[in-house]
Amino acid sequence: MNRAAEFKKIVAQYCSVTAEDMTEEMRFREDLGFSSLDFMSLLGELEDTFDVELEQENAVQVRTIGDALNMLEELAA
Amino acid sequence: MGTIRELWDNALSKYADITAVRWLEKKEIKERSYKELGEDIMAIRKGLQAEGFAGAHIALIGTSSVEWIGSYLGITTGQNVAVPLDAGLPSEDLIDLLNDADAQALFLSPKRKDLAEQVRSQCPEIQKIWLLQETMEDGYATVEDLKAAGLDTADVAGRQAEEIVTLIYTSGTTGKSKGVMLTQNNLCENAASISFTAEPGTPVLSVLPIHHAFCLVMDWLKGFSLGATLCINDSFMHMVRNMGIFKPEIMLMVPLMIETIYKKLAAADPNIPPAVLAENVFGGKLRIIFTGGAHLDPFYIEKFAAYGVQVLEGYGMSECSPVISSNTPDDHKDGSIGRPLPNVQIRFEDGEICVQGSSVMQGYYHMPEETAKTLKDGWLHTGDKGYLDEDGFLFINGRVKNLIILSNGENISPEEIEGKLGLHPLVGEVIVTGENNGLTARIYPDQDVVKFKNLEEEAVKAEIQQMLDDYNRRQPTYRQITGLVVRKNPFHRNATGKIKRPEAELD
Repeated sequence: MNRAAEFKKIVAQYCSVTAEDMTEEMRFREDLGFSSLDFMSLLGELEDTFDVELEQENAVQVRTIGDALNMLEELAA
Repeated sequence: MGTIRELWDNALSKYADITAVRWLEKKEIKERSYKELGEDIMAIRKGLQAEGFAGAHIALIGTSSVEWIGSYLGITTGQNVAVPLDAGLPSEDLIDLLNDADAQALFLSPKRKDLAEQVRSQCPEIQKIWLLQETMEDGYATVEDLKAAGLDTADVAGRQAEEIVTLIYTSGTTGKSKGVMLTQNNLCENAASISFTAEPGTPVLSVLPIHHAFCLVMDWLKGFSLGATLCINDSFMHMVRNMGIFKPEIMLMVPLMIETIYKKLAAADPNIPPAVLAENVFGGKLRIIFTGGAHLDPFYIEKFAAYGVQVLEGYGMSECSPVISSNTPDDHKDGSIGRPLPNVQIRFEDGEICVQGSSVMQGYYHMPEETAKTLKDGWLHTGDKGYLDEDGFLFINGRVKNLIILSNGENISPEEIEGKLGLHPLVGEVIVTGENNGLTARIYPDQDVVKFKNLEEEAVKAEIQQMLDDYNRRQPTYRQITGLVVRKNPFHRNATGKIKRPEAELD
């Protein structure tokens, strides 16, 4: 499974939008219904799954699926 | 009557060799025994004495750490008053609170070093700042310097039970923060009155902010009184990972945390056995979650029970040190907030829960008018409406402050209506307001449902209006919803996640 697909599968645990229906423009809070704590929990899960370390201060700036994927790409590069 | 000095010294004598605190440092588990923490506490207490602080207000700005709790107990087992503040607040708010509290010294998280210069220039009463770290650092004093200052000083006695030990600042949805004055006895009685016990060494994972009374008293003071091992969660980001590392048996949470964890449980492959899932999500040993701060839907109590985790809801406020009532492992009723603690008397005035007892605050610091409004004839007016059922369990059914009073004299509790409207799947968030002498429902639709049903804006509104029409048909005229606003954005929330009602009309 590629990174984007695995990422969307994790995000889908927190909302009722399926990984297949997820688009890069979707916003975590407004479109996917994430609470602030859902989002924090997701960040922790991303760290464990992709073996990266996220700076909480930067990570909380992420708004959309696309933002989060870009952040992961940069960290993994 | 009790004091924190007695509580701590008792724990120290009984549990000296047991681990008191466990935490992560660069992914490595560190720990400190009751004996070792006791040495820190005494060194800090003596250091404060050597520096000339007695009866002083001493603030702490930082998240949970062994240095934070050591300093808190160094302050409060000696001759001083602790003022824990929220490290996440903007600098200008922290400066205001330090001045409001008349703080004379400050323990400061190294992560908020940026604040030190501002404090020096804008808080004239502050004489000393120590960084909450156990190494020395050029240009700053740290906890290590304070301990060194007290090396040759004799130990000091603790304060009396009826003396103020802590100011806790409340984060109200509106208005200025208020410094709740609590005595040594207020806190100790609250910790002692919760009917709950655990074996010494029981791991407790502390995930709530330590400057909140619920975390400070129920995780830390109650935990220490039982000889528990307090494990520090470094970030909510890592809560699930940390549950796997520390394998807690007991945790305190707010409902939002329970809701987040439930999403992970619900999304898991249904073929995974519950015990395996509980191991993955909770660390495998968790058996009790105490929750409070907001209402928890009893739905979650049942769901968590399937994984062997008992969720026990309680109720309280900083003004009551903080717990007023709580369900306990052996005595609980789902949907209630438990029985009042044995040191609490309850009465109702026009439906409002009023409390008297040994954990009720002495008042708000420097705010005699606010104090008089809240403490009347010795009764603390909680601002919450509720009732006791026939078995003596307390229930909440609204907030006094949020009462909508219509010109026909009818009083409406918006929460009650919101609770009913919120049951509709399309309703994500709802606030009921009184406008034009009628009730308006302001609703932010559940975006998952909107997407799932592929509804356009007009269709969303039509479906919600249909739901309101159905609701209205079952209500007396004064309870009917006459206005509907479908919001484009979620409501604004305060730092503790509660919707800011006064801003409900801003979208």
